[in-house]
Amino acid sequence: MRGAVVVALLLALPKAVGAQGNTADQLEQAARYHAALDVERELVLLRRIISPNSPFVVTYAQRVLAYKYLGAALVVQGQRDSGIVYFRAALERDPFVDLEPQRFTPAELAAFSDARRLVFGLGIRAITPDTIDPRRERVGLTILTTHVADLHVELRRAGAPSGFVLYQGVSDGPRELQWDGLLADGRLAASGRYEVVLAGVSQLVHRADSVRLYFSIQQDHPPLEDTVAALGPQDLLPEQHPAAMARGELYKSMGIAAAAFLIPRTVANGELHGGGRAFANGIAGAAAVVGVGSFIFHQRHREIPANIAANAERRAQRASANAAIRDRNQARLAQTRLIVAPAAGIGP
Amino acid sequence: MRRMSAFALAILVAVPSPATGQISVQGGVLVGRGEHRIVDADTLVASSGTLFGGAVAVMFGERFQIHAEALGGHLTSAATPSLEDHDIAEAQILGEMKVRPWLNVESGLSFRSFSNSLARQRWTAWRIGAETRVPLGFESVAAVVRGYWMPLVAVSGLSNPDVALALGVGLDWRGRRMGISALYTFERYDFAPNNAAQRLEELSTIRVRVGMWWPPTATAKRST
Repeated sequence: MRGAVVVALLLALPKAVGAQGNTADQLEQAARYHAALDVERELVLLRRIISPNSPFVVTYAQRVLAYKYLGAALVVQGQRDSGIVYFRAALERDPFVDLEPQRFTPAELAAFSDARRLVFGLGIRAITPDTIDPRRERVGLTILTTHVADLHVELRRAGAPSGFVLYQGVSDGPRELQWDGLLADGRLAASGRYEVVLAGVSQLVHRADSVRLYFSIQQDHPPLEDTVAALGPQDLLPEQHPAAMARGELYKSMGIAAAAFLIPRTVANGELHGGGRAFANGIAGAAAVVGVGSFIFHQRHREIPANIAANAERRAQRASANAAIRDRNQARLAQTRLIVAPAAGIGP
Repeated sequence: MRRMSAFALAILVAVPSPATGQISVQGGVLVGRGEHRIVDADTLVASSGTLFGGAVAVMFGERFQIHAEALGGHLTSAATPSLEDHDIAEAQILGEMKVRPWLNVESGLSFRSFSNSLARQRWTAWRIGAETRVPLGFESVAAVVRGYWMPLVAVSGLSNPDVALALGVGLDWRGRRMGISALYTFERYDFAPNNAAQRLEELSTIRVRVGMWWPPTATAKRST
């Protein structure tokens, strides 16, 4: 019988050692001791956790939890002031720390409440990655003050000097804020990095505090169409005659005049002494007049009305096409959803 | 003559029959001056006068056209009436085909009559040639240059001429519904020498034509 007990102890020993093998297990064990009101053992475990000589890695959250249980254990042990000191240590590290009423006694809750009145802290709960439709859904933000304070909550692009005020007024404890994705100018927030800045002044201890949370926004919408490119020189007809054209018209007219002038003098039979030279001269003169008139006219009016009209029509068609594309793009942008995700960065 | 008639008929048959909407018609009146010079037996006889006439053209689409023209007048050689004075009457029908936007080839028959109180001389000629139109810068203003060779010319009472050619230069303005043209024409006929004497003839005209189109069109077509 004695041998069996020894074997059982030997089998149980590694498990007990393992239970104390890391901080999470130790915290779990401390919570069980607390529930069983075994405060002495609980304090041993918790002090080991917060000790600088702890052989295990203690995360920030685990240290906060250890302070919380330490405070509660000390209150149970009758050391209320010491308990409040540890509660304050927990609250200073994480303002969202709270005591669950079903797991802690009224004395502990009262001490914790006193600690909250002594500590002024602001907190913003981290944003969880989410995709929202700004027409129907909102981005949820949870902020907190450890006690009653004048609060100013502002949302702005990261690094911008000012932004959009989400809340301004007195607040005490946690508060849920909702943001519809619009900025102060009424436009949907563009893709980029944003920050929520929480600033407050305690009404109890008259201390100021601030905290900020960075997050990113990515607009998600169907692909947009490119507008029609601007018309280049190769797309348009020349709207002016080249300067050489007027001279060319003049030369042509003079050629016609010369032809009329020469026909009776070269093709006609010389023995007839005629050939209608007066008639020919008349046509030659008329051709010359037309040529000179055309030259002068085209020197002064080089525009080509038909081409100007054709180019205007092409420009109008482009403008109309681009207007249609813009309309379609607007319709697609109206379906934009916002992908919200936490971003790196810390603030004071 | 039979060959000429057959050729004219061939031109008419060769013209395709387009849809009604492709047919347009031109009509116009002509007024001008004519000068007729003849050297025969070293004697020069020159006569001139005012001419009147009319023209009709039917266009089949953008490429083919049949053009008919009639012209007549009284030519006098001096201020006082003489036996050299005579009347001229001329009719001409030409078939045209556009081979380039600026070039038409043409062929057809012309019939001419010189007459006075004593006699009448009839001319029949088959001509073949080309006409080119040169835009002159202003909208719808073009220069017209044409030339014809007349390989077959029959003249009553005379042998056929050795040289028979015709040239023309003019200006043509075409509006949407009507047009005005002025054309200088020159025809030269050199007959074969006979007993050391050679008969030479020239007929020069300047004619102004005012024409109208149906249906109206925005594209300039030949109006002369």
